[in-house]
Amino acid sequence: MDLHDLTSAYALDALDADETEAYERHLAQCEQCREQLAELNETTGALAFGAASPAPPPGLRSAILEAAAAERTNVVPLLRRRRLARGLAVAAAVAACVVVGLAVWAFRPGPRHVVAVVKIGPTRRATLTVTGLPDAPHGKIYEAWVIPARTGKPRPAGLFAGPGESVRLRGAVPRHAVVAVTLERAPGVPAPTSAPIITANT
Amino acid sequence: MWNAVAAHSPERPDRFDSLNRPVAAGEYRVVSRQLAHLSDEALVLLAARSEESALAELYDRYGRAAYGLALRVLRDQALAEDAVQDAFLGVWRTASKFVPERGRASTWILTLVHRRAVDVVRREQRRRSESLDHATEPSVEGVEEDAWLRLQRERVQSALRRLPDAQRETLELAYYGGFSQSELAERLGQPLGTIKSRMFSGLSRMRELLEEPGTEKSWTSTT
Repeated sequence: MDLHDLTSAYALDALDADETEAYERHLAQCEQCREQLAELNETTGALAFGAASPAPPPGLRSAILEAAAAERTNVVPLLRRRRLARGLAVAAAVAACVVVGLAVWAFRPGPRHVVAVVKIGPTRRATLTVTGLPDAPHGKIYEAWVIPARTGKPRPAGLFAGPGESVRLRGAVPRHAVVAVTLERAPGVPAPTSAPIITANT
Repeated sequence: MWNAVAAHSPERPDRFDSLNRPVAAGEYRVVSRQLAHLSDEALVLLAARSEESALAELYDRYGRAAYGLALRVLRDQALAEDAVQDAFLGVWRTASKFVPERGRASTWILTLVHRRAVDVVRREQRRRSESLDHATEPSVEGVEEDAWLRLQRERVQSALRRLPDAQRETLELAYYGGFSQSELAERLGQPLGTIKSRMFSGLSRMRELLEEPGTEKSWTSTT
């Protein structure tokens, strides 16, 4: 069985269980098939819109959201604490704020969709998580900056080496400050030397 | 002040603020529960961080398309409802594994829905005895449709109609009928290699047809 030519059938979910398993093992090792599959998936994703779409039953939305909420709170105790913290914040009438920055970075070989999420707590302490970036090249590091609206001067706020790491930002994030990320020389610099990859306005 | 926008690629802004002015990527801000203007990919990221409102927003964008797809494959409302619920819980559980570079979030969500629906339809033994006719497009008369989704459906249907008959039949039976390639080879009395090559050629041709000028390229729902 030539596994390469199962890509179309896999994209259509037209493999039986054994073939699917074999193909997924192959996929883990074959960059060429992963690329081809990503392309084919866009087409099968279009086929999904080829079906008529009557309104779903009205209870489906709440059923999904209730099941989702129950899952997170029952299974992951850490998140329960987070929810509690959120409840307390609301009780104190100081809403915690989530800020998202989006950018398309012209990165070779192709543009990357970079997403930065800044979660600001009631005391204006914040964490930053960026996805979509490659690992920092050798000798470089990503540096986070907080730019207060009042001074407009970037203040170094943390370092990270790759995507998905959560960085606790140094110092408080004042209202209307901008959080930005640049790629800098390791182990970081006191003032940015390059234009930011992504910014999020708070 | 240090100009933050310079680093962004000169792409046409595709998002707008509340006054309908274009907003450059990266200048975007939201607070919880005001997610309507976020990209699908950003919503998946927020879902990975346990933001229930992000999951709700994704459902509001794609729940209807998801249900239509599941209903087409399963032909049973209760089964379709279960498949959509399982798929969205799959989104919730595996959001952190979503890789934006590998494709759109909407594609990923609908892939989960389709996979789930196909799993269920293959388990349903009664389907095995049905004829192939059941995989053809059901009547949409009397179905009240969302305008944007109707437009997308017409676009896909018109591309499908332009495929050679053998390719269209194979794609429809596989994707909407949930038949595996081996089942199709047997039922259509064709060698497996023929079925594989029809799938490959059919998908490649569909891709070309959908990319033709005059057809909207973006699948992102803005409604």
